[in-house]
Amino acid sequence: MEAIRNAFDFSDLPRSELIIAALALLFLLLFPVLPHSSFAMATMIQFLMFSLYGMGWNLIGGYGGQVDLGKAQYVGIGAYTTAVLMIRLDMPFWFSLPVGLALAVLWSFIIGYPLFRLKGHYFAIATIATSLVLKDLFEVWNFVGGARGLEIPLKGHLPNWLYLQFKQDYYYFYVLLAMFLVGLIYVNGFRHSRLGFQLRAIKDNENVARSLGIDAHWCKIKAYATATAFVAAVGSFHACYNFNIEPEDVMSLDLSVLIALMAMLGGAGSMWGPIIGAAILVPMKSYLGDWLGGKAGMAGLDLLLYGAIIMFIAAAQPRGLYGIVEALRVRRQR
Amino acid sequence: MEDLAVQILKSLVSGLLMGLVFALVALGLTVVFGVMDIVNFAHGEFLMIGMYATLLTSPWLGVDPVLTLPLCGLVGAVLGLLCYYGLIRFLLRGPMIAQLFGTFGLMLFLRNLALLTMGSEPRIIHAGWLVGKSFLVGPGVVLESTKLAAAVLSVASFLAVWWLINRTRVGKALTATSLDAEGARYMGISTERMNALAWAVGGASVAVAGGLLVNFWPVEPGVGLLFTMIAFATVALGGFGSVRGAFVAGVLIGLIVNVPPVWDAMLRAIDAVGLKNLEIHSFKYTMVYAIYFLIMVIRPQGLFGWKQ
Repeated sequence: MEAIRNAFDFSDLPRSELIIAALALLFLLLFPVLPHSSFAMATMIQFLMFSLYGMGWNLIGGYGGQVDLGKAQYVGIGAYTTAVLMIRLDMPFWFSLPVGLALAVLWSFIIGYPLFRLKGHYFAIATIATSLVLKDLFEVWNFVGGARGLEIPLKGHLPNWLYLQFKQDYYYFYVLLAMFLVGLIYVNGFRHSRLGFQLRAIKDNENVARSLGIDAHWCKIKAYATATAFVAAVGSFHACYNFNIEPEDVMSLDLSVLIALMAMLGGAGSMWGPIIGAAILVPMKSYLGDWLGGKAGMAGLDLLLYGAIIMFIAAAQPRGLYGIVEALRVRRQR
Repeated sequence: MEDLAVQILKSLVSGLLMGLVFALVALGLTVVFGVMDIVNFAHGEFLMIGMYATLLTSPWLGVDPVLTLPLCGLVGAVLGLLCYYGLIRFLLRGPMIAQLFGTFGLMLFLRNLALLTMGSEPRIIHAGWLVGKSFLVGPGVVLESTKLAAAVLSVASFLAVWWLINRTRVGKALTATSLDAEGARYMGISTERMNALAWAVGGASVAVAGGLLVNFWPVEPGVGLLFTMIAFATVALGGFGSVRGAFVAGVLIGLIVNVPPVWDAMLRAIDAVGLKNLEIHSFKYTMVYAIYFLIMVIRPQGLFGWKQ
């Protein structure tokens, strides 16, 4: 009961943040009604997906301080479970979502147990390795379509709520927005939870945390599995939204790094950080790509600029954009 | 049966040669990590730039690709210095995660710069002293001169770096910085300059590896990622910061990558019915990551590591 009360308790946040968050939420709710291009809608859905990925990553990478660069494998597990169950067994999305979640979480426990014996750079690179191994296996596994991936056929007439198949994007938008809000409320509860405090203690000083009786290894595994659940849920959604998944799309190293990158650039370890990061990087990437990507003789210019901006933010503001907000607040309090 | 023996010998030889090149690729990464605890995502892109440097300068200067190697090393060293003074210096103030992403941004930047200026088609060196020559050693075992030269020069570069670190005054200062940067500063060592030196040495060695590699491996802007990953696995396997470890681990990984053909041959030899269409060969890089993961879990500091 108390956990639920905690999850809805936003009162410890500064009022300015709450006002901005409420305005942003109002904008999100009204966005499909406002005039917009279909490109803007697609970008918006990408933004929600990446902020959910980032929120998940933030649980282990931000609060726990464990740099995880292998989250894409769980996106893949979620997406493939949904696709396979839909194609072979005709299962609706709302059934395959929990199955995908369960499989991903199970896999995260199996991988996480040995993984968390490592620390720092060793841990980061080992997570990349596990993700790449899984991707390579999926690329040659015929049951899931190999490197060409799977295509989900249309089921009955649209809109189809059971299989999450719609013609208009705003249906997807609202489904995803609901997931986003559930995620946000969960993260808010996580901040106040026992595990949340334990993780922050581990991040600050693992030896001291251990000496206080915190089982650091088990705490990290739990947070890792929770983060996995977020990522796998969005992966399931991704399969329905795209109708088509392939290993290069849902399990690539780029996706893993992007997930962590957005959370980090926004501000790892803060509740709004991943959302801010996604809100800036996703539109920037897709509009840069739209603006420069198609021009002849300009291939690569959009990603070149993107890389330069990432370098600049990492060098100029290593604590993320939310760090600027916090610095401003500290200055005003003085 | 004889076929199998030849196969094994062949894979061992080519694995050894390839492994020496992998070791040289990983050398720069391990030097940089040892001195300042930073993992460079753009490492493979340095290699790519080294490959392009040889590819472009050799027809331009009208000399053989092998003779451009010193120039290649120079390009790599300058590139390393530029990256250090332009970016890494600022990243060092931040937490580890900001460092990872700063170099990730550098990777995107360099890769797409190459895409923008060079185009995306793969290119390779077609003419030169080494190309197309090979020796026959033993029955059925062919030694390509490009790979042999790459391996020999890789060992030479390794010895040079080893000599620099272990036998010179500057090398002692470098080691002191990596052991305890603050202590080194008290002793009057300019750690800032040592960091820059590490980047120059790292950039030079990986660019030379690129110059050797382009003789038998086509270059395109995306070539770096595979080598970055292999270098990560090599460095972590050997232990971050250990030059000796990078050498051993590089050879080990070269062998791992090239041994799967043996298993393919074995499968064919025993004519396994159910396994026939399962080509283990296609798993070779997967195997690298899997074995790396297993070794890491058993021995987290790597084979020769001293940093945790």
